[in-house]
Amino acid sequence: MNISHNWLKDYISHDLTPQEVADTLTMLGLEEEESWTVGNTFPGLIVGHVLAREQHPNADKLSVCHVDLDGSGKGIKIVCGAPNVAAGQKVVVATIGTKLMLPTEKHNPDAPKTEITIKKGKIRGEESNGMICSAMELGLSEDHSGIMVLAETAVTGQTFADYLDQQGTSESDTVTDVNITPNRPDAISHLGIARDLSAVTGISVQIPAVDLPEHGGEAAHKFSVEIECPDVCHRYVGILVEGVKIGPSPKWMQQRLEAIGLRPRNNIVDVTNYVMYECGQPLHAFDFDQLAGHKIVVRQTQGPLPFTTLDSKPRILPKGTIMICDSEREVAIGGIMGGENSEVTDTTVNVLLESAWFNPTAIRKAAKNIREADKEEGRLSTDASYRFERGVDPNGQVWAAARAAALIAEFSGGQVVPGMVDANPIHDSSLVLTLRPTRARAVIGADISDEEMRRLLTAIGFEVAESPEGLVCSVPTFRPDVEREIDVIEEIARLYGYDNIPLPTHSATPNQPPAPNPTDDLRRSLLQFGTSMGFREMYTNSMVKAERAQFFAGETGIVETLNPISSEMGALRPNLLLSALPIVAHNLNHGRKSLRLMEVSSVYRRSESMRVPVKGYYEYEEALFIMTGTVNAAGWNVREEKVTIFDAKGVVESLLRRFGLVQHVQLIPENEPSALTSYQIKIQSGHQILGVVARLSDETAKHFDVKQEVFFASLNWTVLSKLIGIKTRRAYQEISRYPIVERDLAVTVSKNEAAGALLETIRRTGGKLLQEVRVFDLYEGDNIAPDTKSIAFSLRLGASDRTLVDKEVETLVARVVKQLADRHRAVLRA
Amino acid sequence: MISSLATLESQIQAEDLHDAASVEAFRIKYLGRKNGLLTDLFSQIGKIAPEERKAYGAAVNTLKQLVEARLTAAQAFVEAAQKQAVAQAIDLTLPGRMQPVGGLHPIRQTMEEIKRIFLSFGFGVAEGPEIEEDWYNFSALNFPPDHPARDMQDTFFVEAPNNENGGVVLRTHTSPVQVRTMQNTQPPIRIIAPGRVYRNETITYKSYCLFHQVEGLYVDEQVTFADLKQVLRMFAEAAFGVGVKMRFRPSFFPFTEPSAEVDIWWQNEDGSGRWLEILGCGMVDPNVLENCGIDSEKYTGYAFGMGVERIAMLRHGITDIRVLYENDLRFLEQF
Repeated sequence: MNISHNWLKDYISHDLTPQEVADTLTMLGLEEEESWTVGNTFPGLIVGHVLAREQHPNADKLSVCHVDLDGSGKGIKIVCGAPNVAAGQKVVVATIGTKLMLPTEKHNPDAPKTEITIKKGKIRGEESNGMICSAMELGLSEDHSGIMVLAETAVTGQTFADYLDQQGTSESDTVTDVNITPNRPDAISHLGIARDLSAVTGISVQIPAVDLPEHGGEAAHKFSVEIECPDVCHRYVGILVEGVKIGPSPKWMQQRLEAIGLRPRNNIVDVTNYVMYECGQPLHAFDFDQLAGHKIVVRQTQGPLPFTTLDSKPRILPKGTIMICDSEREVAIGGIMGGENSEVTDTTVNVLLESAWFNPTAIRKAAKNIREADKEEGRLSTDASYRFERGVDPNGQVWAAARAAALIAEFSGGQVVPGMVDANPIHDSSLVLTLRPTRARAVIGADISDEEMRRLLTAIGFEVAESPEGLVCSVPTFRPDVEREIDVIEEIARLYGYDNIPLPTHSATPNQPPAPNPTDDLRRSLLQFGTSMGFREMYTNSMVKAERAQFFAGETGIVETLNPISSEMGALRPNLLLSALPIVAHNLNHGRKSLRLMEVSSVYRRSESMRVPVKGYYEYEEALFIMTGTVNAAGWNVREEKVTIFDAKGVVESLLRRFGLVQHVQLIPENEPSALTSYQIKIQSGHQILGVVARLSDETAKHFDVKQEVFFASLNWTVLSKLIGIKTRRAYQEISRYPIVERDLAVTVSKNEAAGALLETIRRTGGKLLQEVRVFDLYEGDNIAPDTKSIAFSLRLGASDRTLVDKEVETLVARVVKQLADRHRAVLRA
Repeated sequence: MISSLATLESQIQAEDLHDAASVEAFRIKYLGRKNGLLTDLFSQIGKIAPEERKAYGAAVNTLKQLVEARLTAAQAFVEAAQKQAVAQAIDLTLPGRMQPVGGLHPIRQTMEEIKRIFLSFGFGVAEGPEIEEDWYNFSALNFPPDHPARDMQDTFFVEAPNNENGGVVLRTHTSPVQVRTMQNTQPPIRIIAPGRVYRNETITYKSYCLFHQVEGLYVDEQVTFADLKQVLRMFAEAAFGVGVKMRFRPSFFPFTEPSAEVDIWWQNEDGSGRWLEILGCGMVDPNVLENCGIDSEKYTGYAFGMGVERIAMLRHGITDIRVLYENDLRFLEQF
């Protein structure tokens, strides 16, 4: 909410600067978002003291004045043409460089204006260092008969803006946008802000004096109010002003409304807005003569209802909307906006003012669901609904209505009809709470005395009495948010000042260690692993286009949001690849040829499983490694090598080794192309699928505008990290003190034989003595039969309890060769 | 004879031994097995008169030692020269063979830094789902249905509320993790909850549709607002430097009361500065404790929460949040 600092001063006469006020409010929980000045601040204009006036030697009508501009008693020369200038006057001086809007014809205020800059110069041979201004030249009035002579109290050297401020006729104002939290409905007005300011400055609040009418009187004979839904409308006050003449509101009121960002309309609407921003009570003005039967009925809609609001928009109102009706039809949406059919127009003569209390939830539900007739959905938030939603003071209606009626009568020449109608089926009285001061001290952790608590609460309108149980607090009805003891404790802490709560000199820690979180620890290790393998971590958007999500999810159901920002982000990603590919494309399009990127983050699917925290949704953490381009940049001693599936596979194999899972995980090739991949290797543990290593299909790559081969490995890190926790033993195994024997053997086999199968045979045959087997060469081509290939293996053999003897080694190798021959028709190469 | 030995000595001294070849020639010339000059002299010892033999032997031996000394010195010189030649032959200005360099995203780095600080204070780490039930995200946290407080966090809905439950949302904060933890554990509870959260806001330079939070929770007997101030001051000093200027100002969150926002004074290089909000916090609302089955008379607690992106941006001088999610390598490689 925007507050005007000039306006605020009507209620609390402080001498703080606007910035000091804003800072004080911030520390009270009424945070300054931003402050700015409005109106004319008269830059460059200074109060000068005319020390002496002499006749200009070369011009009859001009004077040469010696003007003190800084209170030093020394004057500078200014040539002036006004007949009324005299020694001893306090005047307004436009100093060198000042810009003024002056009429193009001298002494004709109606002539078009143009900007001129005051320069140092000579006038008829006499030096002049500025200009002494008339009220017309300052844009303050049309008086151009002579210079503007200021009050004696003007201080030489002060800015003209400060002088005006001091005179209470400021042409400028500072506006602060205050962030009002939802728990502070009492602060959505200048008086409410003044009340908080008063509590900490000790300066009392001046509430404008208003004669409060009694229920009944002449007004009650002229109209009636009937509330059919007292649950949502506790109170409806009506006051009638007759014989008004619609016209503009006074300039000062227009200035204030404009300062806080409202557009002035007329002397009726402006007053209702003004009073709302003054005290927080929204008001509505009806053209009384448009109300059939001079009757107000408050009722809720029974179903969707078309209604045209005063902004001429046809709208559809939801069931349960509070309507203000006359004897025949709806005339306003209660607490939200008036109707076109009963609004105040230029010809209005009699005005009925509505000042009511509506239920916050009812207003909020309605405001959220009122749509324009030609739209599917919408909402209608107004200054009024904003206040009603948060809760206005149920005892503030009469004051606001009477205040507005008096101002309307004053500005429009109307007469307030004596009395009022005050329909008040449900009376809201003050809530009484008991505060235990010991509890307050225990929560806040500061030694605030009972007496101090009492003083602080009294300062914001609480009535406090002592009792054996504690302080009995009567909560003012403008604080509907204060419902419990803890709410009162918060008020005490807030007013005491959070910064005044002392820090403990020592802090206790609970006598138990923090709960371990292996998932978090392992994730850190995983990221360290990825970094060491040269991968850069990405953070990508988890919201993706639904069709793409479905394509990437395959058979499983995807999770969509009901209210996406755009269709491009309608679903949650089923895997990280989908989020990563646009990043790959982006970097390739920006000059990169080789990429190694990783991400560890959540992915989302629909699920029927019962073992999920939220029924229907499976969410797990995935680890994605994605590679494209070359393994290394070509160098003077490095041959560039393209990334292949075996680089991605190598990442997974290294990862399995890093986390001790080599024995527990199988890599199963799938040489069938799919829409997503050209070929892939499934990563499994038993029947549980842990992930995949694959080459991205060219079609999918093209879809993302990627024109080179992309390889990736993705892992279900949630499952994998659990497996690591369960499967990997961390017990020390004694290191063998016996030597290792190495043996190489090369065989030729049919091209169709898979190397993996041969490795498996070697491992099985080798048994315990075979510590490691590697493929160190693969050859096809000259010197061997077509349709065959040569594979060379390197075997490391050894025992943990003895040195192997040659014979043992030879027997084992011979057995391996035989098995390779029997199972794979492998022929040992010489 | 002795005088010829003296001539030989000066001859040995004068030999030029500058490279491996001259050193080898020198060795052969004097100590060569067949025609070495000293070898010859030794073999003639039998022909020397017995009374002179001792002096002769001693003189030849001295010569031999001289030759050997010269040999050792020359060999050392030549070896050193060779090593130097090898060292000088290699162009060490050629670039090295680099391995690809990996790195963590600045969000991760900041998140881990925040976690590290709170872990050092004795907090544990708790995590929970991003797709969350309305009850955990809002109702349990004291957001009444149809309350303006719900507007503070624009929400993505996954499932509309029905008669059975309040619907399913993308969590708007990691506070539901606090609820789940309090449901499953009795105090003392001392955790931080890091993770990804979502807000249905227009994407601009200052807001993204998702971001990351680290929230903290401490529930125990006798926990006070002063304790909260204490732990957050320690955090701010660990993260932003000892003596950092900070302020607590009253604010509102449905799940804490009293509530506060914390600003730190951010000094620009030109000496100007401004208050920057870094986190929200407060005492856990008694309703929240009761909703989680914790006796709110016996226990009190504090909670706090901060945006990781916001702090990362502050630390690195990043002014547009979207750059964090663009993952341009020219950006990532700076961290």
